[in-house]
Amino acid sequence: MSIDLDQFHDAFFEESYEALETMEASLLKLNVGAPDIDLINTIFRVAHSIKGGAGMFGFNEVASFTHTLETMLDELRSSKLNVTMHICDLMLKSVDVMRGMLRAVQHKTPIDAQSVADLQFDLELVVAQKGAAAAPAPAPAAPLAAVVVAAPVAGAEAPAGWLISVQPLASMLIHGNDPMRIFADLAELGELRCKLRDAPVPGLDALDPECCYLKWDLELHGQCERSAIDAVFDWVQGDCEWQIDPIGGPARTAIAPAAQPAAAVAAPAAATPVPAAAAPATPAAAPPPAPVVAAAKPAGEGAKPGADASSIRVAIEKIDELMNFVGEVVITQSMLAQLSTRVHGETADRLRTGLAQLERNVRELQESVMRVRMLPISSVFSRFPRLTRDLSQRLGKHIELKMTGEHTELDKTVLERIGDPLVHLVRNCIDHGIEMPEVRAASGKPEAGTVHLNAYHKGGSIIIEVMDDGKGLDRARILEKARAKGLVGQSDVLSDEAINDLIFLPGFSTAEQTTDLSGRGVGMDVVRRNIKQLGGNVELRSELGKGTRFTIALPLTLAIVDGQSVAVGTETYIVPLVTIVESLQVKAGAARTLVNRGEVFPFRGDYLPIIRMHEIFDIQPRTGELHEGLVMVVEGDGRKVGLFVDDLLGQQQVVIKSMETNYGRIDGVSGATILGEGTVALILDIPGLIRVAAERLAERNAA
Amino acid sequence: MNAVVNKGQAEAAGQNRQVLTFCLGAETYGVDILRVQELRGWAPVTRIPKSPPHVLGVLNLRGSIVPIVDMRLRFALERAEFTPLTVIIVMSVETPDGRREYGLVVDSVSEVVDIAAGDLKPAPDLGSRLGADALQGLATVQDRMVILLNVDKLLAGEGGLETVAATAAA
Repeated sequence: MSIDLDQFHDAFFEESYEALETMEASLLKLNVGAPDIDLINTIFRVAHSIKGGAGMFGFNEVASFTHTLETMLDELRSSKLNVTMHICDLMLKSVDVMRGMLRAVQHKTPIDAQSVADLQFDLELVVAQKGAAAAPAPAPAAPLAAVVVAAPVAGAEAPAGWLISVQPLASMLIHGNDPMRIFADLAELGELRCKLRDAPVPGLDALDPECCYLKWDLELHGQCERSAIDAVFDWVQGDCEWQIDPIGGPARTAIAPAAQPAAAVAAPAAATPVPAAAAPATPAAAPPPAPVVAAAKPAGEGAKPGADASSIRVAIEKIDELMNFVGEVVITQSMLAQLSTRVHGETADRLRTGLAQLERNVRELQESVMRVRMLPISSVFSRFPRLTRDLSQRLGKHIELKMTGEHTELDKTVLERIGDPLVHLVRNCIDHGIEMPEVRAASGKPEAGTVHLNAYHKGGSIIIEVMDDGKGLDRARILEKARAKGLVGQSDVLSDEAINDLIFLPGFSTAEQTTDLSGRGVGMDVVRRNIKQLGGNVELRSELGKGTRFTIALPLTLAIVDGQSVAVGTETYIVPLVTIVESLQVKAGAARTLVNRGEVFPFRGDYLPIIRMHEIFDIQPRTGELHEGLVMVVEGDGRKVGLFVDDLLGQQQVVIKSMETNYGRIDGVSGATILGEGTVALILDIPGLIRVAAERLAERNAA
Repeated sequence: MNAVVNKGQAEAAGQNRQVLTFCLGAETYGVDILRVQELRGWAPVTRIPKSPPHVLGVLNLRGSIVPIVDMRLRFALERAEFTPLTVIIVMSVETPDGRREYGLVVDSVSEVVDIAAGDLKPAPDLGSRLGADALQGLATVQDRMVILLNVDKLLAGEGGLETVAATAAA
């Protein structure tokens, strides 16, 4: 069976990590003393689904640990146990431990058994100390006689109901499932009557206490959806055979037993809160008359996160492929549009109208496909509540985390790479920015410091702000330190912005003592570099005693760039718009040569080197005279140069294609794009180009 | 390497192989038909800076950027004018970096022929700069000699597509 399931492991892990994130987020929202039952239900559900999945895939350590956690959660859920700070801590630790276990299982490395066992013991202790009858793990032989679980609403019997026969396989308990749980979940759907079916149970000497030998017939009265019942049984796919019939109805719907591949295919669907594998799986498991199994509905209780239920997981390559095809359609469309101008006669007008409509539709299609790649930034923000909690505990600071604009969307690739820089900034705010409570009180501020994360769209960019109301940057000290390190001349006068900028220099830290969190001098320069690599920018504003604000501007996507097309000879190149400072015409004779080698020209009081594009790329230019072409001042890696081209053509958004897929890396070129008429144009990599030009000059000087 | 294995298998099974033949000057070459993705007419390409002379540039092939190699220049034949008969054979090539697509510019495409495994003769070593690897063998089809090429070796090996300038400057 495990061979069949292997291909679903990745999905299981991915979804479990996501589930753990949900769990963590819910835990952080949980109020000690007055817990929200919905949150506890969510946490319980997550634990339950991980347990189910882990059991199914044979990750027994995970299943066993999660089972213990679930037992405690069950106590919380039924209010037999109160939510205390200690329990919250234990549960947060459990999230870490489970994550660690999953990683270990995923990468086939040994599990840290000691920490798992310790925590498991702590959890069991909490349950045991409550003193109630509930044993840490329900004994498998517990349901000896008929069990009647009455629903809280014992009203008049509803006309409709369901007959359910449950035949757990022997392996059910081993895989961490429990028939009791099924009954409890079903009891929430209506009034449930359980009858133990006469079944041979082996004698005590032959009885394996870890096997389940019992079978039940259930009557569920109440108006509940068939799909809700199916959802309950989703958790035991592969561990149980069952049959659901409407009361009084002859239609018998059998569910395939576990050993058959069909059920094995359905297995991951049962484990997932997001119905990724559900689409291909459900038809195999459930015959047509049954309503579609809602795999996204875990256990059928409490509030369901609506967003999860209606999303699917798609491989990014499929979207890229879709983008390619849409791009081709755009090209074909513009080709047809050109052709249509040469058509005459009665139908020509209608043809052109049709083509105009096609153009609109294609544009919209293209935008929609682009949007598919966009995800809300909340997936990055969601890690901060935990981070803040842990850090504030460790540092003894009171910190309130405020997050706004979590729904702002950006491209997945950008999203993945902005997480680390943001973590760094938030850590800095908490560690360096926010003062200790006494200090804050003394300076008349509320004891709890605030860290505020905000995100919003502005033009074609996303702006992310990280703000704190801490002590702000001490510019005098920064300057002093920079002078001591020789980064700034002793007599140099710097503007406030220039001083702020110093903290982005490599090896710069003003922290009096380095902590294990930050202040080791590796950091802000890396943050800035990472953000620059994404084509973004980070700015800093700070007021002493009031706080600091980092503003990060990022492109919404890495798949598209705003470009300026330039002509060099007969060729067309794209210059990313963000690198362009200004384009100008240099007057005849304004450019000077430097030691008879490089060329420079005056620009706003500076002299900038000139890079002649046609020399770098060996192109026959239209003109070699500077004043006949154009000089484009571009910036890369903090250096400005003048790029000499023949002409500017136009600005457009271009879709970036990799040159490395079929060819290789080219110095000075970051990729290629397909222009409207279907031809390819290369996109310039300005920092790379500046390097190439510098090397060229060095070679020439050496010669 | 795959092709070598295939050849071995083909010989063992005594199978015929289908080969697409094309002309370069007076010579006829053949490539494994299974590697041919499509044929298309010549269209102006976008030049790549600092590429080897036989790499003419890149073309857009349904959204992917495909390098175009002039086979005449690759084989050090004299350059020819592009005519309506000039064809780009788009092929998939196994390289150490994975599967890639290349377009080969040839004078014209002739036909698809079956070559029996036994009819394939080893190419004599004439001290060719191509290296014996790139030539899989010679076969006679209708009194003409067809030079069978191993595109993987021809395009991915030495003298392939590495740009002169592609030094890891970063």
